Amino acid sequence: MAGEDADAGEAESDAGRADGSGFGDGHVVARADELADGDRLVAQVRGREVAVFRHDGEFYAYLNWCFHQGGPCCEGVLSGTAFATYDRDTGENDLRWDREGEILNCPWHGWEYDLLTGECLSRKGFTLPSYPVEVRDGDVVVAL
Amino acid sequence: MAETERRPSLLESETVVDTDVHLSPPFDELAEYMDEPHRSVTKYPTYTPVNRGGWNRYMGGKIETEKDVVRSADTLYEKICVEFGIDHPIINAFPVLTSIPEDDRAVATMRAYNDYLLDRFLDEYDEFLGLCTVATQDPAAAADELDRMATEDSIVGLYLLNSGAHPPLGDPVYDEIYRTAEKHGLHVAYHASAGAPFAKDFPVQDAQFNRFLENHMVAHPWAHMLTMTSLVVNGVPAKFPDLNFSFLEAGYGWVPYMMFRFNKEYAMRRSEAPLLSKTPEEYVRDQFYFASQPVGEPNDPAHLDAIIDVLGPENLMLSTDYPHWDFDHPDALDKHVRRFGDDGARERILSGTAIEAFDLPI
Repeated sequence: MAGEDADAGEAESDAGRADGSGFGDGHVVARADELADGDRLVAQVRGREVAVFRHDGEFYAYLNWCFHQGGPCCEGVLSGTAFATYDRDTGENDLRWDREGEILNCPWHGWEYDLLTGECLSRKGFTLPSYPVEVRDGDVVVAL
Repeated sequence: MAETERRPSLLESETVVDTDVHLSPPFDELAEYMDEPHRSVTKYPTYTPVNRGGWNRYMGGKIETEKDVVRSADTLYEKICVEFGIDHPIINAFPVLTSIPEDDRAVATMRAYNDYLLDRFLDEYDEFLGLCTVATQDPAAAADELDRMATEDSIVGLYLLNSGAHPPLGDPVYDEIYRTAEKHGLHVAYHASAGAPFAKDFPVQDAQFNRFLENHMVAHPWAHMLTMTSLVVNGVPAKFPDLNFSFLEAGYGWVPYMMFRFNKEYAMRRSEAPLLSKTPEEYVRDQFYFASQPVGEPNDPAHLDAIIDVLGPENLMLSTDYPHWDFDHPDALDKHVRRFGDDGARERILSGTAIEAFDLPI
């Protein structure tokens, strides 16, 4: 499994305390240079498991809790997934594999989530709770 | 499945029985419980000693399996009893014996699975209960195996893989198995399987489907519908009134449809099932039990409650199917029962029904 556990419970962010600009309580979960592109980590933040991903230079933070049966969805494989279309005019079926590296798969039962939005592909209407995340003074800070 | 200890179990104060927990014996270890020539065949198979078909079962590695966890009694206890809050797992060795082409090797493998289950698991924890595997290829050898294993207090029933069992399991050729089970007070549990065993029953469908989702969707309900039909039409529950039967791995949504269809069909063609003295629905309600996994997921959760209501908690037992890829966390069913059911129904589903069905010593 990519990433590593981090405990942000005791690491109240200097940035968070100094801030107060609406970012909420900031929690330092890692140094930015500890999280290479494509990496992730799972941190304990105020009693919740929050996963932070770095993908194409952007950071994403989601609750590590699958809507299905509470599995650790953020610890699963990042892959692509299948998309299909049927053209009613031409009668052509088109099947393609796309979004490589941007689909998060819960390791318990394979429920799929869009890494960029948190949207659940497996059952419409569910979106993983996300948290603002940014880099301040070289720290990855999650607001919660 | 990564660590899950972060969730405190809601089941700590209740008695919980899990009616479908599997092992995954490494074949080289299983071989140690076998004599030659079967030991060498199991250690050095052509492809694999037990064929499960070539389907993409594990989604190309997207999902984890925890087969290592079920390879020692200690790790299984920690996962099932501590983390999941199960007081008594009823463990089967998950033998896929109908996939073994040679009947004598199926019998040797049957004995090895049972010895492995006893030696490595049931003898290790008082909480562990188990099912004796029998090979349907040789009913006489299966009956002998029941005689051998029934002396073990931890054996509470027998495990029949119904997928790929020929002829269907109500046929009188199996009477010897049922007579012996009844003699020893053993419960009869049927477990279905997708992949290669499915292909024995439904070769055309197995060949023509193009995705494992299709195979797996119908494999378990078709096998159980076949078995239930064969049992009832052949009068097995009437011939062996002290036997109870359970159906594992297909949930229970299929059961109301079968009961009601069966009543209708039987009434029209009574002379083809002359051993019956009451309606098929009554036989099902009186002697058949159903394990919950996979708990259905209707878009409106209240619909699941409607189905449970029709079947009644008297015939429904919790199961997880751990550690298989489509397992249910025990909370999948329990959260539903907490929401819709009363305490009495919850007690039945979590343990009471299984205690009755398997006549458990708890």
